[in-house]
Amino acid sequence: MIEFRDVSYVHQNGVKALDGVSLRIGSAEIVAIVGENGAGKTTLVKHVTGLLKPATGDVVVDGQDTRKTSTAALSRKVGVAFQNPDHQLFSESVEEEMSFALKNFGFAPELVEQRVRWGLELFGLEEYRKSSPLVLSGGEKKRLTLACILAWDPEVVILDEPTVGQDSIQKEKLAGTIRMLTSSGKTVVLVSHDIEFLWPMQPRVVVMKGGKILGDGPAPELMQDKRILEAARVAQPQLVEFGECLRERPEVPFADPLEARRWVEKSSR
Amino acid sequence: MADILEITGLSFRYPDSPKKAVSDFSLSVPEEEIVVLAGPSGCGKSTLLRTVNGLIPHMYTGEYSGNVKVGGVEVKESTMRDLAQKVGFLFQNPENQIFMFTVERDIAFGLENLGVPRAEMRDRVDEAMRLLEIGDLALRAPHELSDGQKQRVALAGVLAMKPRLVILDEPTSLLDPRTAAELVDLVGRLRRELGTTFVVVEHRLDLLVKVADRIVVMNEGRKALEGTPEAVLFGDEAEAYGVTIPSVTRLQKMLAADGRLPLTGLLSPAELARALEGERR
Amino acid sequence: MMWLSGGFIFRRGTSVYHRLDPRAKLLVSVLMFATTLLVRSLYELAGVLAFMIAVSAVAMVLKRVARTMLFTAGFSVVIFVLNFVFTRNLETSLLYAARFVAIVVSTSLFFITTSPDELEQVMKTFRLPRDVVFAFVTAVRFIPVMFLDTIQIMDAQKSRGLELEKGNVLKRVRNMIPILIPLVVNSVVRSGELAEAMESRAYGAVPKPTSLVVYRTRTTDKLVAVAAVVLFVLTAYSFYFVFPAQIL
Repeated sequence: MIEFRDVSYVHQNGVKALDGVSLRIGSAEIVAIVGENGAGKTTLVKHVTGLLKPATGDVVVDGQDTRKTSTAALSRKVGVAFQNPDHQLFSESVEEEMSFALKNFGFAPELVEQRVRWGLELFGLEEYRKSSPLVLSGGEKKRLTLACILAWDPEVVILDEPTVGQDSIQKEKLAGTIRMLTSSGKTVVLVSHDIEFLWPMQPRVVVMKGGKILGDGPAPELMQDKRILEAARVAQPQLVEFGECLRERPEVPFADPLEARRWVEKSSR
Repeated sequence: MADILEITGLSFRYPDSPKKAVSDFSLSVPEEEIVVLAGPSGCGKSTLLRTVNGLIPHMYTGEYSGNVKVGGVEVKESTMRDLAQKVGFLFQNPENQIFMFTVERDIAFGLENLGVPRAEMRDRVDEAMRLLEIGDLALRAPHELSDGQKQRVALAGVLAMKPRLVILDEPTSLLDPRTAAELVDLVGRLRRELGTTFVVVEHRLDLLVKVADRIVVMNEGRKALEGTPEAVLFGDEAEAYGVTIPSVTRLQKMLAADGRLPLTGLLSPAELARALEGERR
Repeated sequence: MMWLSGGFIFRRGTSVYHRLDPRAKLLVSVLMFATTLLVRSLYELAGVLAFMIAVSAVAMVLKRVARTMLFTAGFSVVIFVLNFVFTRNLETSLLYAARFVAIVVSTSLFFITTSPDELEQVMKTFRLPRDVVFAFVTAVRFIPVMFLDTIQIMDAQKSRGLELEKGNVLKRVRNMIPILIPLVVNSVVRSGELAEAMESRAYGAVPKPTSLVVYRTRTTDKLVAVAAVVLFVLTAYSFYFVFPAQIL
């Protein structure tokens, strides 16, 4: 679905933001991209929809080369939720805001209405239908931008730091939405620092540093690789660290506290 | 030691709002304490912070009742000039509080405004840069800096005013975990070296638990919970208020409920593993 | 869009020109501007442009200035056409168009070599009120930030299917609304945050604030200023008395 073939990209100031990146993301996957600030995560995301074009190498999305396709066309298939909702909200009402992309993508009016209603319901924003998006709280704005994207039903959804500034209740809801997306066959790509949020989802993890991919594999495998985690300055999930400190390490690291507790129960018999 | 901050029965309502942003809030903070203020979005944290440094009522008007005293003096009776030298405020977005084109000049901004003589200004700017370890950035421009560096510059500008109380508004939101941990260590160090009191608004409690003396949780303008980090995180109510309980702490609570482990203090993953093995022997 | 940034946003430099007192740099640009207005033939204009190129080379900003010249030339085609339609005179039209380029370049040269701090210093010398100076310098300091914001906004809206490159003039103008509104809103929010930060750091506490940095004028600066004035006078003289009156 998304393929990076030996992609390199250099910023205007000469810094190499991507250095020989090769990556393949298929359908119905959940992928987490982790790494410190400046590792190249956002640059990578911008290449997927052609906002940035590679200096060398190719980026192919659903068979189309991003150099030859417009960002709008690529975005129809890959929805990107950027970190700052204030960079995109502009309409007079929430319902207009939600129909913006749908109209751009050529959805018929009845379908637009249907999708808007669905999105508002899913994210609990119906009461704000006629309100201005600019008066919503930070958390509500983030939900709105995600609702806008899901309304046009892209096959891939990329979320850039979705948990920043969110409290635990909002994060739970977000996790639920992500589960719903993956169970309906969509691919979700999460760029995030919040290892504790990512870990229970057991995603495929891609670790980046200095524009390179240091590791790419299932979460249990990568989160136990101290060498890669150290090099990339990525924290280890607390439960993984806990498991490693036990004299008898569990075969599979604990995905959540319940698993850990069950293991303790079993092993004490 | 006297309380540096005393809030008594504070209520505040913005002019065009039907309900109060802060409702009958009381809090006493002794000197050199690090207090973490948490709570769901819209709970009134931002408003509360602004009543402490004086933006409310000096810049924002509204229905104000109750008292806020900093260093024994009422905020509503002080000038912003006096308050700026007692209370420092590090806003959430580092970009929108750096005015000058050169780092060292921005750090001096507050001092220039106060008419501090040049020689003393120079010393205080150098001292602030030393404390935050940004001496090498002195002549750089803000747009050349990373978010973490911008934040240190903004904090240096605040510390140059030599405040006794510093407010940090969600300081780790833009930082990656390692940089965030470094900031937390820095706050601890500043408290030790300067004796400054800190009030930190944060969602990411797991990072702050190391240095926090107390956690206060707000909800709908009121104080919902208050206590030591252990008391709040081990309690059952925090989660209802959107406080993120770290995974290892949730596990610790479960194991304690099972009777495997007494709840003695917040443990790190390694400590929990050792404690568990210790108990099982 | 990018050429605007190349033409007017300050970037740090180490050349001799960059290190001049900003008032000297201002003088040079003002005199260049004035000379351009006195020009009455293409030869004279060519001379002025050559001088500007020479100064740009000394200031090590030649590439940026050349790009600004090219893009401004593109715009000046409109001036050329309008002039030609009304006067039917090839030379005058060309002269007016080329003068526009020269004017833009003389202004650009000042802004790309002068930092906001230096701008502040210049404005203070003219005894402008403190609030005006502060507002102006802060605005300039945030130009690169707003530029970055605009790019991020464009990225976000393109990702919602907004096609900025397609459509007739009317549609393209309409398509700017999703870009302009967030930009304006963000600027307003930013002003609010800046105001809070200013208050919190005692802005306005004292009528005469002190200054961390002192600016001293060196002999070099004075020499450059004098040289610039002398050159200007000589050039003006030669335009009017040495070379016969040309086109204008």
